[in-house]
Amino acid sequence: MSENNLSPIERVKKQSDALRGTIVESLKDEITGAIREDDQAVIKFHGMYQQDDRDRREERAEKKLDRVYTFMIRLRLPGGFLTPEQWIATHHIAGENSTGVIKITTRQTVQLHGLIKSDIKPTIQAFSEANLDSIATCGDINRNVLCSSHPKQSPVHEQVFAYADKISELLMPKTKAYYEIWLDEEKIADKKEEEDPLYENRYLPRKFKIAIAIPPNNDVDVFANDVGLIAIIKNNKLLGFNLAIGGGLSTTHGNPETYARLGTEIGFIDSEEKTLKAVYEVLTIQRDYGNRSDRKLARLKYTVDKLGVKWFKEELEKRIGFALQPPAKYEFTERRDYYGWQTNDKGIWYYTAFIENGRILDDEKCALKAALLEVAKTGYANFRFTCNQNLILSDIKPEHKEAVHAILEQFGVIKHTESASAIRKNAMACVALNTCPLALAEAQRYMPSLITKIDSLLEKHDLSEEEIIIRMTGCPNGCARSYVAEIGFVGTALGKYNMHIGGDNKGTRLNKIYKESLDEEHILAELDHLFEAYKKGRKKGQRFGDFANAL
Amino acid sequence: MLQGNKLELLQKLIGSFTKEELIWANGYIAATIGLPAASEVPAAQSVKPAVSKITVVYGTETGNSKKLAVDFASKAKKTGVQAKLVSLDQYRLNDLPKEEYLLAVISTQGEGEPPAAAKKFYDHIHQNGFKLDKLKYGVLALGDTSYPLFCKAGEDVDSQLQKLGGNRIAPLQKCDVDFEEEAETWFTRVLESLSGAETAPAEHAVVNVPPKKTGGKKVYEGTVLGNINLNDRGSNKQTHHIEIAAEGLEYEPGDALGIVPENPQELVECLLDIAKADSTKTFQHKNDFFTISDLLKKKLHISFLPERVVQKYASVVQQEIPATRIDLIDLLRIYPISSPEQFEQVIGILEPIAPRLYSIASSPEAHPGEIHLTVARDFFTINNERKTGLCSHHLSETPVDTSLHFYIHKNHQFKLPAPDKDIIMIGPGTGIAPFRSFIAERDATGATGENWLFFGDQHFETDFLYQTEIQNWVETGVLTRVNVAFSRDQQEKIYVQHRMLEHAKTLYEWLEAGAYVYVCGAKDPMSVDVEHTLIGIIRAEGRMSPEAAQEYLDGLKEQGRYLKDVY
Ligand code: SRM
Ligand SMILES: Cc1cc2nc3c(=O)[nH]c(=O)nc-3n(C[C@H](O)[C@H](O)[C@H](O)COP(=O)(O)OP(=O)(O)OC[C@H]3O[C@@H](n4cnc5c(N)ncnc54)[C@H](O)[C@@H]3O)c2cc1C
Ligand SMILES: Cc1cc2nc3c(=O)[nH]c(=O)nc-3n(C[C@H](O)[C@H](O)[C@H](O)COP(=O)(O)O)c2cc1C
Ligand code: SF4
Repeated sequence: MSENNLSPIERVKKQSDALRGTIVESLKDEITGAIREDDQAVIKFHGMYQQDDRDRREERAEKKLDRVYTFMIRLRLPGGFLTPEQWIATHHIAGENSTGVIKITTRQTVQLHGLIKSDIKPTIQAFSEANLDSIATCGDINRNVLCSSHPKQSPVHEQVFAYADKISELLMPKTKAYYEIWLDEEKIADKKEEEDPLYENRYLPRKFKIAIAIPPNNDVDVFANDVGLIAIIKNNKLLGFNLAIGGGLSTTHGNPETYARLGTEIGFIDSEEKTLKAVYEVLTIQRDYGNRSDRKLARLKYTVDKLGVKWFKEELEKRIGFALQPPAKYEFTERRDYYGWQTNDKGIWYYTAFIENGRILDDEKCALKAALLEVAKTGYANFRFTCNQNLILSDIKPEHKEAVHAILEQFGVIKHTESASAIRKNAMACVALNTCPLALAEAQRYMPSLITKIDSLLEKHDLSEEEIIIRMTGCPNGCARSYVAEIGFVGTALGKYNMHIGGDNKGTRLNKIYKESLDEEHILAELDHLFEAYKKGRKKGQRFGDFANAL
Repeated sequence: MLQGNKLELLQKLIGSFTKEELIWANGYIAATIGLPAASEVPAAQSVKPAVSKITVVYGTETGNSKKLAVDFASKAKKTGVQAKLVSLDQYRLNDLPKEEYLLAVISTQGEGEPPAAAKKFYDHIHQNGFKLDKLKYGVLALGDTSYPLFCKAGEDVDSQLQKLGGNRIAPLQKCDVDFEEEAETWFTRVLESLSGAETAPAEHAVVNVPPKKTGGKKVYEGTVLGNINLNDRGSNKQTHHIEIAAEGLEYEPGDALGIVPENPQELVECLLDIAKADSTKTFQHKNDFFTISDLLKKKLHISFLPERVVQKYASVVQQEIPATRIDLIDLLRIYPISSPEQFEQVIGILEPIAPRLYSIASSPEAHPGEIHLTVARDFFTINNERKTGLCSHHLSETPVDTSLHFYIHKNHQFKLPAPDKDIIMIGPGTGIAPFRSFIAERDATGATGENWLFFGDQHFETDFLYQTEIQNWVETGVLTRVNVAFSRDQQEKIYVQHRMLEHAKTLYEWLEAGAYVYVCGAKDPMSVDVEHTLIGIIRAEGRMSPEAAQEYLDGLKEQGRYLKDVY
C-alpha cells in the first residue's frame, strides 16, 4: 500500500514517538480545555477520549466561550473484575475528578466522564495507586478482553477467566509512554527497551477486540469480536477453545461497503500456549494485511472477507506452525445475566444487580452508588461487570451473604433489581448524547422511557413475561450491539431510529433492518402489531426474535 | 454707559490699582466677557518678565491636565519665563518650601478625589507643620459639572496652599470638560501678572464665571445591537458584552464611554407617592426645565446618598439624622417631610447622577460605526439583600434596539504605542475590555509589534471572557503570548500576578527590549499586587536593589511605558 493513501491516523501513530505525541505540551496549553488534534488520536491509546458537552455547544458559542472539553477514561479490566478496595478507590476518584457517575460498559469495564484536562494526571495516578490502569482500552490496538462473567457458569470459570488477563498482558504495547507522561516515571534511556515486535510503530489498522465465552451462555456476544474464544469444557475440564475470527458489528449509514459480521469459527485449539500463539498471530496478520487507507474498512472482518477465510486459516497456520483442529461441538442456549442471588458448586454466593444502562449513581429510585460503597467497605464481595452493563457482587462467603443482603435491601438495590420488567432487565443502550461525538440520536438518556412504553404494549398483548432482548444505539456503530438484538434500534437523527428485528437470543444471528427512521410514535405503532402478530402466530415456546426472523 | 454710581466706583478702584493689578484686572475683565485682553499680546512681549522661573505641576488621570500644563510651560518659555514642568507623582515634596512660583493643574477623580498621581502631594499639603510663605501660586482645576463635587481636588489644593501661607498669583479657575478657552485665558492672565512685579494678590479666591456649556461633551445617541452575558451558567459573575451602533463616532482604543444611568421608574413613582408631590410640576436644573418626575428619574442621585446630602436633608426637615449613607426613599419614610414645599427644598439639595465610565472594548478600525462594552453587573449585599449597581444593572438589562445616550471620555494616557512596539497587557475581569480594543486594532491595522496578554477570572469553564476570540488571535498570531489565571479552579488561589512571576524571565526580557506595560481592571487589590509583582520581577531578573527596581519602574512611567486604567 503506497504511503500517500494511508489514512492520516497512520502518520500520527508513526510519528507519535511511541505514543507520546505532544501530549505533555497539549496539557500545558492554558487557553483551551482541548488537546492538539494529533494528540487526540494518541491519547486514545492511553485509554482516553476527548469529548465535549454537546448539549452546551450553541449557547457557549454565543457567549464567545469554547466548547466544554472533557475527557472520558476507560479502565483496562480483563474479564471485568475489581477488588472491593479497587471499587472504593474508583468511587472516590469518580467523585473528585469526574461527573461522579461510574459507567459500566458493554465490554465489562468502567468509564468515567467529564474529566477536565488538569484532572487526567491525578486521576491516572490515583488509579495507579489502586493497581489499575487504562492502557490500550481505546485506540488501534487490542482492547479490554472479555470473559463470561458469572463464576457459577462452570467450575473451571476461574481457569478460563485467567486467560483474559494472560491475553491482555500478551497484547499490551511495549511503550513506556503511559508511565512517563502520567506517572512521572524516568524517561527510558535506551529506546530498545520499548521495541514492539507485535505493534511495531504502526500499531493495528483499527481497534481489535477479543472475547472468551463459556457455553451455554453467550453473555459476551463472542461473535461480535474480532477474535472469539469459545471454551470447550467436558465433565468440568477445560479442553481448549474454538477460535472464531472476523466479528464486528459497526456499519456506516449510506456506505454499502460496511456491514455487521459475526465471527467465523475456524478451528479448535487444545493448549494454553497454542491458544495464546494463535491469538497473537491473528493480530500480526491483521497488522500486515489490514486496510490502512480506509478506516471504515479496516477492521479484521473486512480483512478476512477480502482475503478469504480459507486463506486466512492457512496464513495463520503458517505463522503459528501447527494446524488447527476442526471446531469442537458445544451449544449456546442463552445470552443473559443471572439476576439476584446465585451460588456456585462450592457454595459461594453471587448477587447480580440490575443497573440500567450501566450507570451507577444515586437517584430517587435507588441509592446504588452509596449501596455499593457500603458493600465494598465490608470487604465481603468482589466486583464483576457483565457485558450487559450490569454488576455482580461476587465470591461472597455464606456467612457474609446476610450482611451484604441487608445493605442491598437498605439502599433499595434488591427492590430496584426485582421490580425491573423482563425486557428492561435484558435491554441495553449505548452512551450517545451528550458526550459521544458520533451520536446521531439519544440512547441511554432515552431508552428507559421507551422501555416503559413498550412494557405497556407487552402488557396489552399479555406478553410481559417475554424476555425479549432490546438494544439501542445512537448511531450505526453499534456500541450496545443492537445488530444482534431481537429488537434493535439504531439512531439515524435526533428522535429517529432504524428498527431492526429478527436476531436470536443467543447472539448467533444478526437481525435485519425492518423499518427506517421511525419516530417514537411509529416505533410503538410498529411494535404494537408485531406483538399482536407474535401473540397470535407464534409457535409454542418460540422467541420473539425467531418469530420476527421468519416474517 | 455705566448705570448709577458704577463708573464712580470703577474709577475709585482703578485709582487704587498698581500697574500690575491694572494689567491683571484688564485681563480678568476681558476674560469675563470672553474677549481677548486688549493688551494681552503686547503686554506679554513688551514687559520684560519680572519673574524668570516658575514650576508647572500637573496631576492627571486621563491626560487633560498634562496637556494643558505642557502647553503652559511652552507658552511661558516663549515669553522668556523659565518653566519647570513636573508631574505631581515625580515632584519632590521637600522642594515645595523653596518654591517661589508654582502653577498647579489638577483634575478631580473618583468621588471628588485627586488623581492617583497627585495623591502623595495632596496628602502632603494637607498635613500642617510647615509654612510656605515664599510661595506664590495659582491652581487650574479640571472637572466635570456632571459630578456632584465639581473640581473638588483643585479647590482643596488651592485653599490648602493658602492655609500654608502661600499667596495666589491668580484666583482658582475651575473648568468643565470644555476647558480649553477658560484655561487659555486664565493662563494668559497668569503670565501677565508674572511679567509684572512681585506678587499680584488675587482679590477673589475663585473666578466665579458660570461654566460656559458652549462646547461641552458631545453626546451620542446609539442603538444596542447586541447584549450577551459572557459568563456561562453556574458562574458567580455576570459580564455583559454590549454592542452599540452610533453615527459619527470619534474614539480611539483606550478611551472610555460615559453614561448617566437613570433611576428606576417604579422607585421614582414610589418617592413622589410618599412625598405626595405633584409629579408634573416643573423645576429648573442647570440650564433646563424638567418635571419633578423626569428630574428624579434622569438627573438626580437618589440612592445611597452621601452623608453631606443626608445632613442637608436633616436641616431641611429639622430632624436629627445620624451621619450615614442612605437612600432618599428611606429618608422620606423614616424622617418624613411635613409639606410639599419641604419636598421642593429636598429636590434642591439633591446632587446630579454621576456618569459611569466603561472602557471601550471595540476598535474603530475593526468595528467601524460600533462601540462595544464589557460590563460586569455589580452585585452587593445590604443586610442580606442582594442588590445590583444602578448603571451596570441597567446596561445588563438593556434589550437589543434600545437607544442609549453616552459620551466619549478621552484617555490621552492609555494609548497604543507605535505599531512596531511590543506591548504587555494585564487585564483580569473587565480589565480585558480595552485590550480587546487594542488587539482588534492592531490586528486590523497590521501592527508589527508583539502582543502579550494576561487574563484572569474565577473559573476557566464559565468565566473566560472572549475565550474564542482570544484563541483566534493566538491562531492568527496577533497574540504572541497569552497567560491566564483562574483563581478558583484549584485549592490555592492563582491570579495574574502569579502567571507573571512564572514568566518573570521573559517578561523582563520584553521590558528590556522596550515593551510597554498596560494594566486595566480593579484598582484594589489587583493593580496594587500587579505593581508589586512587577517591581519584584525587575528586582530579581535585573539583579537590582529594591530602590533601583522602583526607579526602573518610575523610568517606565516617565517614558509612558507603564500605563494603568484602573477603577
Ligand atoms: C462505552 C461504550 C458503549 C456503552 O454504553 O457501553 C462505547 C462507547 C463509544 N464507542 Fe463503542 N463503545 C462500546 C462498545 C462498542 C461495541 C460493542 C462491543 O465491542 O462488544 C461496538 C460494536 C462492536 C464492534 O466493535 O464492531 C463498538 C463500536 C464502536 C465503533 C465502530 C467501530 C467500527 O468498527 O467502525 C466506534 C467508532 C470508531 O471506532 O470509529 C465506537 C466508538 C465509541 C466512542 C468512544 C465514540 C468515539 O469514538 O469518540 C463512544 C464513547 C461514548 C462515551 O461518551 O462514552 N464504538 N463499541 C462501549 C465501551 C466498551 C469498552 O469498554 O471498551
Ligand atoms: C475609567 C473607568 C473605566 C471603567 N471601565 C469599566 C468596564 O470596562 N467595565 C465595567 O464593568 N466597569 C467599569 N468601570 C466601573 C463602572 O464605571 C461603574 O463604577 C460600575 O459599573 C458600577 O456602577 P453602578 O452604577 O452599576 O453601581 P453603583 O450604583 O454606582 O454602585 C457602586 C457601588 O456603590 C455601593 N452602593 C450603591 N448603592 C448602594 C446602596 N443602595 N447601599 C449600599 N451601597 C450601595 C456598592 O458598593 C456598589 O458596589 C470603570 C470605571 C472607571 C472609572
Ligand atoms: C472616574 C472619574 C471620576 C470623576 N469624578 C469627578 C468629580 O468628582 N468631580 C469633577 O469635577 N470631575 C470628575 N471627573 C471628571 C474629570 O476630572 C475630567 O474628566 C477631567 O477633564 C480629567 O482630567 P485629567 O485627564 O487630567 O485627569 C471624573 C472623571 C473620572 C474618569
Ligand atoms: S453507538 Fe454511536 S452513539 Fe452510541 S456510543 Fe457508540 S458511537 Fe456513540
